[in-house]
Amino acid sequence: MNNILSIIFVSLFSLQAGMAQAADAYVPKVYGKKGYVWDEMTPERIQVLKMGGDPVKGKESFRGCRGCHKADAAGVREGVYPRLTGQHASVLIKQITEIRAGIRKNPKMLPFVEDPAISVEEIGDIAAYLNSLTSVRENGKGDVDMSVQGKKLFTDNNCFKCHGVNGEGNAAKAYPVVAAQHYGYLLREMKLIMTGVRGNSNPDMVKAISKLKQEELEAVADYLSRLPDYRTVAASK
Amino acid sequence: MRINTHRGGKLRAFGALLGMLLLTTTVYADDIPPLEERLQLCGGCHNPDGNSVIPENPKLAGLDAKYIARQLGDFKAGKRSNEIMSGIITMVDEKEFKALATYFSGQKRSDGTSDKPDLVAQGKQIFDEGVIGTAVPACAGCHNEDGSGSDKFPRLNGQNPAYVVNQLMNFKNKVRNNDPKAVMQAVAKRLNEKEIAAVAEYVTTLKEAE
Repeated sequence: MNNILSIIFVSLFSLQAGMAQAADAYVPKVYGKKGYVWDEMTPERIQVLKMGGDPVKGKESFRGCRGCHKADAAGVREGVYPRLTGQHASVLIKQITEIRAGIRKNPKMLPFVEDPAISVEEIGDIAAYLNSLTSVRENGKGDVDMSVQGKKLFTDNNCFKCHGVNGEGNAAKAYPVVAAQHYGYLLREMKLIMTGVRGNSNPDMVKAISKLKQEELEAVADYLSRLPDYRTVAASK
Repeated sequence: MRINTHRGGKLRAFGALLGMLLLTTTVYADDIPPLEERLQLCGGCHNPDGNSVIPENPKLAGLDAKYIARQLGDFKAGKRSNEIMSGIITMVDEKEFKALATYFSGQKRSDGTSDKPDLVAQGKQIFDEGVIGTAVPACAGCHNEDGSGSDKFPRLNGQNPAYVVNQLMNFKNKVRNNDPKAVMQAVAKRLNEKEIAAVAEYVTTLKEAE
């Protein structure tokens, strides 16, 4: 028994030492570069996930984000800044930590999320706060309703497998909510993901959308922008 | 809450110690000039009620006390510098900061005026919406739509435009870098001089929401 305990103890110890070493040696890898792994857990992300989040504290920490994402966190209708209300905390944590690590390229946002603008703890707080919000302001949609074509493309290209049939994403796997997002934002990010400029593209998604023409991307973005808040869909069932 | 006698005894001892400490502070405080006298020193540039009439000097009235105390501390520590303030602050003891901050914080901020409606309109757009193309966040995000601010973000309503222009230029050029999270430097970097002039002209016309 003692032997087993000591083995467990020693292995835990060395695991911890190994993790500490990994944290020191951590070098972020960007999409397109050798060794890039999508959704790789960065040391900071692990830290934030362990800490959890406090939505009350997050409300105050979010103050520094309101200049762009607005006081209601619904962003800008034209889609320059996304709607963050109801987004999965896991997704927000992934994106913020990846921007901080230089994996997702977002020079506009970086000065406002990098250390010391917000602390590691505040990342989880902000994520918890945003997840708790609902939007009342209408989101931006495409000029023309292309949702029939968009829905077909969303289905045929298996987008729903990750992003859900109602665009609700997947909190456990950090797939974002895409329903009721601003059209302009959806379209822009699809292109940034496709071209790799975003830096943290999922290769599966690149494969799925690379064959789509501009008009088809617009149709998908329009369809998603016209979906209702995923939580209202879940509640009505 | 019930306190047993043993702990009560300890509390009494603690109380006595605290009393002694307070006594020593009072003795110490004798070296510190009375607030009225200090207000003559500060009031020379900032006006005794904290509503500076000299355009280049900031109004202190109505700023959050914590914010004022932090700025005084930064001047003292050399983290923020100004040719006049950096000299004056050497005459003021750190122990005085709290009382000064509380006093100026408690004064009513006077309204400002502008005779440049076009500049004010341009400034309002930037203050409320930011500048999309150059990713300037809206000032209202942190300072509130009415410019009332918080303990971390200073009150801007009624502030003297020339002072605001100077500060934004100082942040832009990193001459002023005591914003705790370097966020103001990042914002000011994205503003051009015309936008800075407009925003400064707008904030002076802001009035705190009731």
